Amino acid sequence: MKKSVLLSMSLLLFVGLFMVCPLTYAQNTIKVGIVDTYTGPATTFTMDVLDGFKLAVNEINAKGGVLGKKIEYTTRDEKFKPDIGLAMAKELVLKEKVDILMGTINSATALAISDFAKKEKLPFFVTFSKSEKIIGEKGHPYIFNMNENTAMVGKAAAVALAKKPYIKYWIAGDDYEYGHAIANSLWNNLKKLKPQVQKAGESWWKVGEADFTPYITQILAAKPDFIIAATGGAGMVNFQKAAKATGLSQKIPFYQHTAIELSVLKPQGQNAPEGVFGTANYFFYYPDTPSNRAFVDEFKRAYNREPRIGALSGYMTARFIAAGYKKAGKIDTEGLIKALEGMSLDSPVGPMAIRGCDHQLELPMYFGVTTKNPKYDFLVAGDVQVIQAKDYMPTCDEVLRVRK
Amino acid sequence: MDAVYSIISAGVLSQVFVGLSRTTILFIVASGLTLILGVLRIPNVAHGSLYMIGAFTAFTVTKLSGGGSAGFWIALVIAPLIVALISLIAERGMFQFLYEREHLMLLLLTFAFSLVFGDLVKLVWGGEYKSVPVPHIFQGFVPLFGGLPFPLYNLFLLLAGPVVAILLYLLTNKTKMGKIARAAAVDREMVGAVGINVSRVFATVFVIGCYLAGLGGVLVAPTVSVTLGMDHNLIIEAFLIVIMGGLGNIWGALLGALIFGLTQSLGILIWPKFGIIFPYLAVVVVLLFRPTGLLKSTW
Repeated sequence: MKKSVLLSMSLLLFVGLFMVCPLTYAQNTIKVGIVDTYTGPATTFTMDVLDGFKLAVNEINAKGGVLGKKIEYTTRDEKFKPDIGLAMAKELVLKEKVDILMGTINSATALAISDFAKKEKLPFFVTFSKSEKIIGEKGHPYIFNMNENTAMVGKAAAVALAKKPYIKYWIAGDDYEYGHAIANSLWNNLKKLKPQVQKAGESWWKVGEADFTPYITQILAAKPDFIIAATGGAGMVNFQKAAKATGLSQKIPFYQHTAIELSVLKPQGQNAPEGVFGTANYFFYYPDTPSNRAFVDEFKRAYNREPRIGALSGYMTARFIAAGYKKAGKIDTEGLIKALEGMSLDSPVGPMAIRGCDHQLELPMYFGVTTKNPKYDFLVAGDVQVIQAKDYMPTCDEVLRVRK
Repeated sequence: MDAVYSIISAGVLSQVFVGLSRTTILFIVASGLTLILGVLRIPNVAHGSLYMIGAFTAFTVTKLSGGGSAGFWIALVIAPLIVALISLIAERGMFQFLYEREHLMLLLLTFAFSLVFGDLVKLVWGGEYKSVPVPHIFQGFVPLFGGLPFPLYNLFLLLAGPVVAILLYLLTNKTKMGKIARAAAVDREMVGAVGINVSRVFATVFVIGCYLAGLGGVLVAPTVSVTLGMDHNLIIEAFLIVIMGGLGNIWGALLGALIFGLTQSLGILIWPKFGIIFPYLAVVVVLLFRPTGLLKSTW
């Protein structure tokens, strides 16, 4: 091809690309940029968040949107890598000009984006990261945590375990921040509520460990009354499978956060171990209220599966964004923040508020034990105790004290 | 104190057995990889993805056959065959035209396949965790060494490993196809000159290698949660084992898998927090003293 023809064609293509690319959405929409991990094992949770968010957004847009504007959203896959996540967030803000950032399941990414959001003075809604640093030491007014964090989980579990007769505890888990944070929070709070408890030992395995037999034999040899297993997402099912295969689940009771959750129990069907204690923030079957049932039915109709905690977080995030702007009266960040502080909305599981001092969503926490149920072909949570947000959230003082 | 010592040695023995059951999976996958590498000279990065497809297919087959134990045995037969079929299509469709190219090209092609397969799995099966139940007769554990529980399924893996090794040995040494494949690994031009259809030999070896990857996937499925990302974890280990053992050498793959599996499980006992470095340390040590691998490579 002649050089000049090639040059002009490529110039044309170049210009054409710019014209076709979504440069700016018209100012008549509210843009939400979602950075999350959509590759690898974390996808099971993040798709829930996105689908719950979409469900609410479709509802809101169908009713005319917020202050006459529709909510639009766009997603970016950070592949569980904080540097990619941060780069995506920057692109969303600087190029796509989003009004709000949302995400992610990776706490490290969440902290990086939080820092960026603080500088840009843009609201950032955290949907599945559980590090307590997010609203704790690295907290600031532009961040909203729409899921539970490790400090809260530990305290809630401690409140429930303190009522049980166990004295000799073994602490184990995935050897990373999440695992250690849950274990530390649980142990410190348990010791405060029940000073007689003793620690028989600790074992920590690498994240993604597939073979727990050596650790389990070590624990069995020490004969503790109870095991705190601080496993993270991917390790949950593996640990439960290993506990069943080695007979641990019949010998020594243990606790894991989200052990009673659908994402962990459903894949195992009837083979999940019974009698495992756990905490979770949402079940589609409890409370069996009309509002929960309505939410579950709507979600099932749209996505052909039952909603899990991620779906609730995503759903409520959209609802709060809409309600916040509506209360502020305009699409303005400072107005949104002020409107959201202390705002309470009706959720599928009852009224839920965003605490004013630290922007933490006040979720109910359920403590239960894995049980067979003839209605389902997977195990569900039984003996459910509800622990109210005020009983397990750190006080405003405690949170704000550690903020820099 | 005696009790502690007996538990320690019981624990060590138990750990050795755990390591050996892990070796089985590693060996089966690595042997497939080394076979393809040795005969076809293709570094098959997509091997991990085929392993993952094997595990996911086992899940679907198990579910379709009612979720009971029979499902696992059916999956054990069918799933590797499905993986073999997929690899046959890939080989006949693309690889067979590229054998003359340099290795980097082939590596990139298989890498591209691994990415495509990874996303295909996400498209077909979705992101949720899947689980394959342990078949009934292997559920539970047997109290070996000092009463410490050893899962029955791991015992099955322990026995399956040598069975596959022996079958592979018979295949490569006692069958005509095996001998031709070994000859092609050493000198493909000569084999072609003698009048044997080298392309068909390559296809057969490739399919068998990928069948092994699928088999590994099915066997590992009841012990872990079947998730996206399984491929990445395994492919690195498989390549290291192949390199440690000698490229193209199946006994080398067995040796490498033994070293890897045992250092992995015993390392956890010695230094729980950093147990994962031991297999990689072993690789470093082996390569320092025997850069071409422990046993003879076919290259």
